[in-house]
Amino acid sequence: MPFDQLDLKRAIAGDERAMQRLWSQHAPHIDAVVRRLCDDSELAADISQEVWMQIFRALPSYRGDSQFGTWAHRIAVNRTLNALRKIRRIAKLEVDIEDDSAITEQDSDRTFVAESIEQAMTKLSPGARTVFVLHDIEGYTHGEIGEELGITSGGSKSQLFKARAKLKKLLAHLVDESSTVAVKGKGYVAPV
Amino acid sequence: MSHLSEEQLDQIIAAERSREQAPLNEWRTVAARAREEGLIRDSQSSRRWASSQPWLQSAAAVLLLVGGVAIGRATIALPSAVEDSTVSATPPAMTATSANKPSGSAPSSASFASVDEASAALNQAVDAYQRASEFLAVNNASVGSGDSVAMYSARAAALDKIENATVSALRTAPHDPVLNQYYLATMGARVATQQMVARPVGLRGF
Repeated sequence: MPFDQLDLKRAIAGDERAMQRLWSQHAPHIDAVVRRLCDDSELAADISQEVWMQIFRALPSYRGDSQFGTWAHRIAVNRTLNALRKIRRIAKLEVDIEDDSAITEQDSDRTFVAESIEQAMTKLSPGARTVFVLHDIEGYTHGEIGEELGITSGGSKSQLFKARAKLKKLLAHLVDESSTVAVKGKGYVAPV
Repeated sequence: MSHLSEEQLDQIIAAERSREQAPLNEWRTVAARAREEGLIRDSQSSRRWASSQPWLQSAAAVLLLVGGVAIGRATIALPSAVEDSTVSATPPAMTATSANKPSGSAPSSASFASVDEASAALNQAVDAYQRASEFLAVNNASVGSGDSVAMYSARAAALDKIENATVSALRTAPHDPVLNQYYLATMGARVATQQMVARPVGLRGF
């Protein structure tokens, strides 16, 4: 049953069942973006809790101008990036944004057998990873990413280009004959 | 090692985008944190929300009274505990609309000097209704056949449908007084019907 205005009022009033319904409906997508932005599952779980507390705190300010999921998603991205900044990962990222060739090239000679794109993403530099997740998976524009990360639109495009180039290399085994996972036509079979 | 093409990478990204993933935490973990921060106020807050609507309380009381009388009269042809000419053997949802009409034994709305006075009269009427219902439940053994069980079951099923319809409508208009009256009347009638079904044969009837 979809979350609706009545549930929203109850959730604002502190009704646990309404809050749980909201969480159940949106947690898979909200938590997914948190997980993708972090490369550490424990950290992602902690940040996810923070994200949900922020969503619940901000519920009274939700005006219904956009879909609830879109509104909550924006909170998730902001909160996650803030949390990453706090633990100094973004500081590193911001340096990387200027020149992340060290990290990306450092890895270029190594052979990764990434089983999935999720694992492959952990091999990206923090900057490239963030831009890739926000642009290619979450659908942000380069302008929006620039605002979020405090970089230029061109910087975002550059990061995305590097991210995709590296992912194509990291995921190459998916088209190798010896691979157990194949990309054929439109089919993509995720590893079990 | 070969590289993926742009198209192949896009396919993988699309699959990743639509991939269902389990939440990172269990609800009880999130709930514990929310409770700690005072964001969850347990069930009392829901009651507080409801009780903060005076009309809701009044409507509940009136509809409990009128709906209950309607059920009793629809069930068996007994003199009503409250002589009310506005109540007839109609479905509970229909009786809800009569909630705003003055009860036959109660003073007319024009005679109330204040909200408190009207509320006190309402409370007295509800109390009288409850006591009369209890008396009739104990002393009236005229109805108690298998047919009445079937009738109560049919009524309960109908009330379930009405309840579902009103709940659905309330999602669109949660504060609509008319919808809330129907909902409360239905809920009251549903509970009363369940009690009748559960009551031993011979004690069914108000």
